[in-house]
Amino acid sequence: MDPNTAGWALVVALFLPLVGAGLLALMPASMDRQIRLAAVGITAVAFALVVAITASFDFGRTGELQFVTDVGWITAIDARFIVAIDGISMPLFFLTYLLPLLCAIYTTKNLPAPGKPKAFLGLMLMLQTGMAGTFVAFDLILFFIFWELVLVPMFFMIGMWGGPRRDYASVKFFLYTLFGSVFMLIAFLAIYFQAGAETWSIQELSAMAPFGSSTFQTWAFLGMFLGFAIKVPMWPFHTWLPDAHTEAPTIGSVLLAGVLLKMGTYGFVRIALPLLPEGALRFAPIIGVLAVIGIIYGSLCCLAQTDVKRLIAFSSVGHMGFVMLGIAAMNEAGIQAALFGNIAHGVITGMLFFLAGSLHDRYHTREIAVIGGGMLKKIPKYGVMLTYVAIASLGLPGLAGFWGEFTAMWAAINPGLGLADDFQGLYLVLVVFAAIGTVLTAAYFLWLLQRINLGEPPAQWADEPLDDVKTIEWVSWTPLLLLVLALGIFPVLVFGVQDGAVSVLMGYLAG
Amino acid sequence: MEALLDYAWVVVALPLLSAALIAMFGKQLPGGGSELGVASLGLAFLASAGIAWETFVNSPIEPVERALEWSPLGGGFVFELGILVDGLTAVMLLLVTTVSLMVHIYSREYMRGEPRFTYFFSMLSLFTFSMLVLVVANNLLLAVIGWELVGLCSFLLIGFYWEKKPNQDAANKAFLTTKFGDVGLIVGVIVLSAGMFELDTSTPFNILEINGAAAAGDLATGTIVLGMLLIFLGCVSKSGQMPLHVWLPDAMAGPTPVSALIHAATMVTAGVFLLARLYPVMAQSQAVMAVIAVVGVITLFFGGLLALVQDDLKKVLAYSTISQLGYMIAALGVGGYTASMFHLFTHGFFKALLFLGAGSLIHAVHSNNMSDMGGMARAMPHTFWTFIVGSLALAGFPLTAGFFSKDEILIAGDIWAGAGFATGALVYWIGLAAAFVTTFYMARVCFLVFAGENRSHHPPHESGKQMVGPLMLLAVLSIASGYLLSPFSPDQPNFETWMATPILDEDATFPFTEDGATEATGVQGDGVQAGGEVVAVEGAEGGPVSVLHGVPSWHPDLLAIVLGIFAVAIFLAYRFYGRGVPERDPTLRMGPVSTALVNKYGFDAFGYRFIVVPVRDTLSRWATYSSNHWLDGIVGGVGRATMSVAQSTYRVLDQRVIDGGVNGAAFSAAWWSERLKRIQSGDVQRYAGALVAGVIVLILAFIAVR
Repeated sequence: MDPNTAGWALVVALFLPLVGAGLLALMPASMDRQIRLAAVGITAVAFALVVAITASFDFGRTGELQFVTDVGWITAIDARFIVAIDGISMPLFFLTYLLPLLCAIYTTKNLPAPGKPKAFLGLMLMLQTGMAGTFVAFDLILFFIFWELVLVPMFFMIGMWGGPRRDYASVKFFLYTLFGSVFMLIAFLAIYFQAGAETWSIQELSAMAPFGSSTFQTWAFLGMFLGFAIKVPMWPFHTWLPDAHTEAPTIGSVLLAGVLLKMGTYGFVRIALPLLPEGALRFAPIIGVLAVIGIIYGSLCCLAQTDVKRLIAFSSVGHMGFVMLGIAAMNEAGIQAALFGNIAHGVITGMLFFLAGSLHDRYHTREIAVIGGGMLKKIPKYGVMLTYVAIASLGLPGLAGFWGEFTAMWAAINPGLGLADDFQGLYLVLVVFAAIGTVLTAAYFLWLLQRINLGEPPAQWADEPLDDVKTIEWVSWTPLLLLVLALGIFPVLVFGVQDGAVSVLMGYLAG
Repeated sequence: MEALLDYAWVVVALPLLSAALIAMFGKQLPGGGSELGVASLGLAFLASAGIAWETFVNSPIEPVERALEWSPLGGGFVFELGILVDGLTAVMLLLVTTVSLMVHIYSREYMRGEPRFTYFFSMLSLFTFSMLVLVVANNLLLAVIGWELVGLCSFLLIGFYWEKKPNQDAANKAFLTTKFGDVGLIVGVIVLSAGMFELDTSTPFNILEINGAAAAGDLATGTIVLGMLLIFLGCVSKSGQMPLHVWLPDAMAGPTPVSALIHAATMVTAGVFLLARLYPVMAQSQAVMAVIAVVGVITLFFGGLLALVQDDLKKVLAYSTISQLGYMIAALGVGGYTASMFHLFTHGFFKALLFLGAGSLIHAVHSNNMSDMGGMARAMPHTFWTFIVGSLALAGFPLTAGFFSKDEILIAGDIWAGAGFATGALVYWIGLAAAFVTTFYMARVCFLVFAGENRSHHPPHESGKQMVGPLMLLAVLSIASGYLLSPFSPDQPNFETWMATPILDEDATFPFTEDGATEATGVQGDGVQAGGEVVAVEGAEGGPVSVLHGVPSWHPDLLAIVLGIFAVAIFLAYRFYGRGVPERDPTLRMGPVSTALVNKYGFDAFGYRFIVVPVRDTLSRWATYSSNHWLDGIVGGVGRATMSVAQSTYRVLDQRVIDGGVNGAAFSAAWWSERLKRIQSGDVQRYAGALVAGVIVLILAFIAVR
């Protein structure tokens, strides 16, 4: 495929899951097994297509849009259908096609009550198109539509297949995110009218920016900030996340942590920063402070959790704090770090949620005290796997988590765009506290491992037959386990792809 | 042979390969994978020996740097995967591979029959790999990676017996204490690299570039001081300096070969090595050097004292390691660059020897406690004499390796004192005092373990060949390695020329000592370079002090003091312990001093009470509470407020006002129609009356408006 002309490939890949959802809807609900296999088939074909797109992607010019489709769409309001991919989108787009495939494979054997694979997988496929769309849409209206499209299937996933408090959690997730996106939409509209260029194209607007007074930019940025920061989520907008994760079914949590949260940080990088550089500059120190509070605060919350899944959910608050610290650095290294942290967190925490889900399948509880230790004795392969992923999550070099965290701190020591002149001291303090956050992160993970992995299994479980890692789990998890190692050893896999695109982006920012 | 240096990465790759192969195939092999570890470490040792030879005989050499561009980091900066080979690297390569090879061989016998035997060997190899990454790294980021990986391996091996809670706790304590120090290391490295941003380089972590920039004065003083002090915090935790030493004694929960390799010979010296690596940076700042010297002095003395009251043999050795690391750190702070690395090198051999000897004893009596030993000299002759050699070297008995290396440190202190720095005198005198303590506690160990009657519950037996062999080889090295830098050494090559680099060559001086340079330059020049006479420098108060000190000469005064210390310490130890375990150990009868020592000065209790508990139990709960109640309370409040607005909208506005309006319209229509219909009575006079009344009202209205 020629990345200059084969825009169709991207469009096909984008809508294939949605079409697949339609196909599933046509199948009779009684064909339980076939529905599950069909979902694997659909996600596999979509993934194969994305692999082909990746293979023919021109990595020499990642800063330019490739596989572009740009056609008129709603001409009355100047909205165009612009779909394309560049170095910033590529890693996230790839992850958006890998995770649903693994989830579909996992679902062939695991589906929480009330079952209904047709509805469940249909929603998952719808979700996939929504998520993928946000990463490749280059028109604000189109972006917004994909952004909102994501909410609905996730709402139903949590609300129908979730835990005991699923109604509360799903409504909270939906309304909180929707609340933010209203302000985001207002900011989009304000930019459209301020620019007066009769275009919603992100590329065109980026090239034209900045527009409006710095007061205008500050207010518009505040609107976007609310939309994106809630999605990330940044402290103090994080409270929907632990509830959503705790109640969501395993697949919901995996996709939520693996891809959904990334839409927020991606929005900051792709839209808020280049379109509103002065607003971003004003907000950067605030973002930095909130990010580091999130790191420390999230880690402290983890120390107090008694439920494994809730602990992992809170760990996301800390990890996304590092991502936002990278953004607050406002330089190339910081954006690189943020985007790397995005991917690493998606892979690692996605995997952690798989593990938390299967833990519940085995023990029928996620309470640390009830599990009581000895997993390395009882189910050794699972125990080793948990140790491996936990160590990756606490940022050990050689595994994926390290690069996002270290580089974010490194970038923040010397913030860009003149921030260093006024805020050098503040950023040094931020770096120190972020580094202290890594100690707290290590503390809660090691303590978790000590309490559930090590020691002898308590009497309650000693004679209980518990399955070690099953075949279906090996199949659906191995790619992630390998990716954790590969990204740790070859950071160039992400940094290298993003490098050119981030340079272009910083070009917009610097004016 | 020159080309050998280019291939130093092979030394690093070999243990990684064996770690992977052992993990994959170890269980199927007759030796449980240990043979792969021994083979790869054997090869790595040979290659290291070649590199060491090459760098030694041709010393001082130009550093060899080979690097691959590994990944962009953004902003035009790149992360390199590279090696930096000079004398410093070569010494560490030799030390690490030698001790690791010995420990691999030894563990084949020591760990026989253990569950997770294969895992153990895989981890040993992985540790060796990580340590070598740190050692050969050409840039600080890569060094940080190695540094963190050795920490992980240390954690996994301390917690090797993870069934028991104390071992889990020890592992967590080790990881988290060192991780706390890593805050300093990471931020320090970041600060130094940020200082390089302005120097037009794409590799801001490159060690040679940073050293060069510092030596050329291109780094701001603030950057150097802040960066190095932060990095030093990392070294304090990793290298067991007070007050972050608390993890090291607990780390003895790991299998003894692990203690020998990781917690005595190699990983704990990483901090010393890293400071030596960055010596040109550190040497720029008098303040940094003073802080480092003071922390080292405190540790070498107070750490050593703690060894006095231990019954657990491994804990005695652990505290002695802390104390000896204190010597190395202190040496760096008083201009003893060579002395510090020399002590690191010799200490690696004799401390590994002592730990492996302790392992041999523990293997025989199934207890770590000296009160369960006694009379082992007869039962375990080889362990006995090798242990005695190690003890003598540790105590610094003349003509052993420890004697030469420790004397180098004391002399460095003396020179520093002579240049007018108080820390120099501190190192000299407290170093001597601590030497007394060291000799006493090692004599105590030797008497308690080897003299008197056997108190163990198992009939002791000598260990097999695979354990005794490494002991003997290390015993030889515990003496021989000292002659690399002694009054018998040639001017070139010796350990000092080995450590020299183009930046730290014989002309290098400490910049802050140069104030009185005019009158002293000549003195310093011939004093140091003409074959090791240090007297001239000692007299040159205020003059520039050289980084290199030349071949040491005999110091009869120091020799006399050392011998005196020996005689007194051994005499006392014999009196107290010569006839077995005393009723009450005299070290426990020193009143408040003993109490302080038994309580480890209260550091552990303090850390638990004022750091662990508040963070784990108080702050964490507060954070969760505030998240669940305050922050979520706001969200919930907004939700409830919206709901109540919605409710009122429905009830008041919709139901009463609007819907009320609609209904009201209907009702009022009926009400009015009821009343209005009476008007339409069909009575013409009434209509006419109303008409007249209307006209009158209109006329009146017109008049009023007018």
